[in-house]
Amino acid sequence: MSGDHADATIAQRVRRLETLLEDKGVLSGARLDEIIDASLSGASPANGARVVARAWTDPEFKARLLADGTAAVRELGFMEGSYQRLRVVENTEATHNVIVCTLCSCYPLRLLGPSPSWYKSEAYRSRVVREPRAVLGEFGLDLPAGTEITVWDSSAETRYMVLPRRPDGTDGLTEEQLAALVTRNALIGTAAV
Amino acid sequence: MPDRFPPGTPVRTFRHDPPHHTRLPRYARGKRGVVVEPEGHAELADVSAQGRGDAPVEQVYAVRFAARDLWGEGDHHVVLDLWESYLEADEEDAADER
Amino acid sequence: MARINDVGGFEGFGAIDTGDDPEPFHADWEARVVGLFNALRAQGIFNTNEFRDAIESMPPAEYLAASYYERWFRAVCTLLERKGVIEPGELDA
Repeated sequence: MSGDHADATIAQRVRRLETLLEDKGVLSGARLDEIIDASLSGASPANGARVVARAWTDPEFKARLLADGTAAVRELGFMEGSYQRLRVVENTEATHNVIVCTLCSCYPLRLLGPSPSWYKSEAYRSRVVREPRAVLGEFGLDLPAGTEITVWDSSAETRYMVLPRRPDGTDGLTEEQLAALVTRNALIGTAAV
Repeated sequence: MPDRFPPGTPVRTFRHDPPHHTRLPRYARGKRGVVVEPEGHAELADVSAQGRGDAPVEQVYAVRFAARDLWGEGDHHVVLDLWESYLEADEEDAADER
Repeated sequence: MARINDVGGFEGFGAIDTGDDPEPFHADWEARVVGLFNALRAQGIFNTNEFRDAIESMPPAEYLAASYYERWFRAVCTLLERKGVIEPGELDA
């Protein structure tokens, strides 16, 4: 089922479906192109990183972000018009949060962009709710034995994002420099900053 | 109308194995947890997935489960987003040691 | 009955390929399938829950053999047939 041949076959079938839908007057190619462009524009982990950097530098914003994630990120122009709710979960010295969707692949697309392949894999989805410490170890994140881990399994219309801990020795950095430190994995909870 | 399950309420998930789409994973069926918070109302996915227009709108709750209650071992917690009809009050909880 | 998508706690899927994988799509058709899903959903032809249901209802062996976006494409086709937008077999004609 894999390889270039299968890929060429499915690409042809997708094209054929597009033609069929256009011929039937269901969906024009131009409209489809518009929708593809719109869905990709502006969705990037840089958004989530910007939210985190703001929370690290503005305690009042951080309080609003943890109380009502959706409203707080709208202040920065994200998730406008989205029917989904954002819940931001904060990592501390004693607690660590990690996000998954065991049933499908729910993910905070607007703030993190399209998800990495591993997030959608059966291996990650099956294991992180059962043995999060071992899974985080595979990502190179070895937490102290006493750290309390919470796995957020997105099963409805809330999307979760992790607020990682601000690293030591970053007092002099600007918000922009701080945002540059925040990786996609840190926003999912499979890495620290 | 106040929510049926305020934060901190001990709940138990239904055991039912429905013959259709559902958003209550198998690993969390018939399990005891504690409500974290209400998330807002949404159409019940089980009915909406059948293409029906009459899906009831219910409160969805974030519910926290101890790994020990889910798997018999482990020291972490798992939080799921669960529709109200997946849950019932866990009356026995108060008497139990956790 | 249990469905193949419901994998939480399931053993045997092995180690996680933790590569950073920065490209959202690995082929142009994948982006077009996501576009089809978004467009058809926006038109009210199906909703997200019906779409998830269509993916989960794949026979387990086929679900596991299919790539992520292949599942999406199959679900879109299933729903378009179910809703009478395309005829069964029309895509193969």
